Amino acid sequence: MTNLVQSQSSTLTGVNNDNLMLDVKNLQLYFPITQGVFARVQGYTKAADDVSFFIRQGETVGLVGESGCGKTTVGRCIVRAYEPTGGEIIYHRADGTTVDLAKLQGDELKPYRRDIRLIFQDPYFSLNPRMTVFEIVSEVLKVNKLATPAEMKDRVVALLQRVGLRPEYMQRYPHAFSGGERQRISIARSLITSPRMVVCDEAVSALDVSIRAQILNLLEELQADFNLTYLFISHDLSVIHHICDRIVVMYVGKVVEIADATELFVNPRHPYTEALLSAVPITNPRDRQAVGRIRLEGEIADPSNPPTGCYFHPRCKYAQERCKTETPPLRNLENEHFVACHFSEELELTNVQLR
Amino acid sequence: MSDTLIEVNDLKIHFFTDEGVVRAVDGVDLTIERGKTLCLVGESGCGKSVACRAFLQIVHSIGKIVSGEIIYHRRVDNNFEETIDIAQLNPKGRQIREIRGKEISMIFQEPMTSLSPMYTVGNQIMENILLHTNLSKEEARQLCVQLLDQVGIPQPHRLVDEYPFRLSGGMRQRAMIAMALSCNPTLLIADEPTTALDVTTQANILDLMRNIQKEYQMALLFITHDLGVVAEIADTVAVMYLGKIVESGDVDTIFNNPKHPYTQALLRSIPKISRTREKLDTIQGMVPNPYRRPGGCPFHPRCTQAMPECSTMVPSVTRFSDGHTTRCLLYENITTKQFAELS
Repeated sequence: MTNLVQSQSSTLTGVNNDNLMLDVKNLQLYFPITQGVFARVQGYTKAADDVSFFIRQGETVGLVGESGCGKTTVGRCIVRAYEPTGGEIIYHRADGTTVDLAKLQGDELKPYRRDIRLIFQDPYFSLNPRMTVFEIVSEVLKVNKLATPAEMKDRVVALLQRVGLRPEYMQRYPHAFSGGERQRISIARSLITSPRMVVCDEAVSALDVSIRAQILNLLEELQADFNLTYLFISHDLSVIHHICDRIVVMYVGKVVEIADATELFVNPRHPYTEALLSAVPITNPRDRQAVGRIRLEGEIADPSNPPTGCYFHPRCKYAQERCKTETPPLRNLENEHFVACHFSEELELTNVQLR
Repeated sequence: MSDTLIEVNDLKIHFFTDEGVVRAVDGVDLTIERGKTLCLVGESGCGKSVACRAFLQIVHSIGKIVSGEIIYHRRVDNNFEETIDIAQLNPKGRQIREIRGKEISMIFQEPMTSLSPMYTVGNQIMENILLHTNLSKEEARQLCVQLLDQVGIPQPHRLVDEYPFRLSGGMRQRAMIAMALSCNPTLLIADEPTTALDVTTQANILDLMRNIQKEYQMALLFITHDLGVVAEIADTVAVMYLGKIVESGDVDTIFNNPKHPYTQALLRSIPKISRTREKLDTIQGMVPNPYRRPGGCPFHPRCTQAMPECSTMVPSVTRFSDGHTTRCLLYENITTKQFAELS
């Protein structure tokens, strides 16, 4: 059954609505910039500006972009650590009904805090040093009265084993664990409520290569075991490509391209995506001579004072007059490949040669 | 006149802590050629930063250079070369202070914390120039603007008087590079200079370092854990594990014909952008506790090809052709003829 989402301003069109888990529509988060004694509002930092994308049940969606592009903000809006200033986050419950998470307040959010969980970037700062591993992992069960103390222990033990930690160590404090083990504790903490979806915010960025591979494999195994859906936020495209089914590319608070992971690498349709792909370090020194590597000039735009028209135009080598005045809408080129660029059809962009 | 700039022989740096002795650097041999790039690769805690800090004698005070030498071939003028053993110098002495920041300079990982927030960018760069040269303040300032321009900072006349908080991460790292270049060093040590940066910024900084190296004809010692960066920039590579160099060779050999199981495993564990998505190969276990180093080959508890003797015998250096060496028992008792077959 195919429903077309009603066409609003830059809402995604032509999306197959089957099996949706999360449908983010025109999500907006403006942080006020205040000044003076009375905190007069001077302007807004548009951390997320009209962000639309969707996540299907059981898939892994990657959210990429440079630092400051708002990818973390979007992740935090989804777990409702932030309250969006506009837009909708339509969550499809297990029973098929839907709810708009963006509008809920306080206690109304409680059931969804179990369903959608977050893993943070830095395992050294995200675990309370004064709590034991058991306390860290079981806290959410205790607070929400989801389990009796006896049950709680069994669940924690089982989960710690599953993520590859020895349950004997659960009375220890986080300082006794290495970075990789701490990230496993974080994973256990997020999975203890049997969530349906996990937002991984740069979950492997702070880890060494060998440990990173272990954690990525673990996340994939857990996804299969618990039928999880991931929103994977990262700036590392090789990791994103490895783990994700679909990729959402963001630039200064806006979505510039959404496509299937392989499609995005083979057939990028936005100049910013092209530049991002071309900045990925090579994996073999023999590729050093590869031609046509693109380097972005200048800095990422200031989200409190973005350029006119397409935000990317000052750094875009294909920019034309129209780009300076007209904001390109996010449109569906074909098969759910969305792009926000006026000239996607005409540009010949460099892709990545997959082996 | 040799092309060798720095030779490190059997360098050992131990940290004497309350809990015991940490052998952070445990017999490292390295050679840095003039004008070339050596990448030192390893996971956190392998001792790569400590080893490089010894080149400037800025190892933390609980760490002592226990033995070994760091021979610096200093070119006094065009046809005379003197050799200095940096390991023997007093960390506070006159001689190392002449070298530090002038002939050998360093860029650190965190551009956010390695610049002082209390001084303008220009002040911090000028400090180094004024210390090591006879330029006047005005001339130093001009040089400073010129350097900032060279490292790609827009509007250098304006930014020279700005405080670091006004600069983005990439710009700060450029300012750090400008500072390091200010006295025309023969060796630039870069300790994870791109780890805290975005991919796009990282690509730009790597380009910048490549160009600057060509222009200044300086050697570059690049410390990183990111093999992608190594593939981009290295001429030679040394792979470090728990204080020892386990394999070294030119970059093409290391990537396409690695011998040590650790190097092989590291290369396999980076996600490749390929059409098929396979499970990543991992290195089992983790880097051991520095107080409880495994005996024998330090990598044996995690090695897939470990043999019984690996836990007791410390492997010595095996030399393959043209500067490709490894420390692994797998290759110790093989004859030259078998080497040829292997490679």
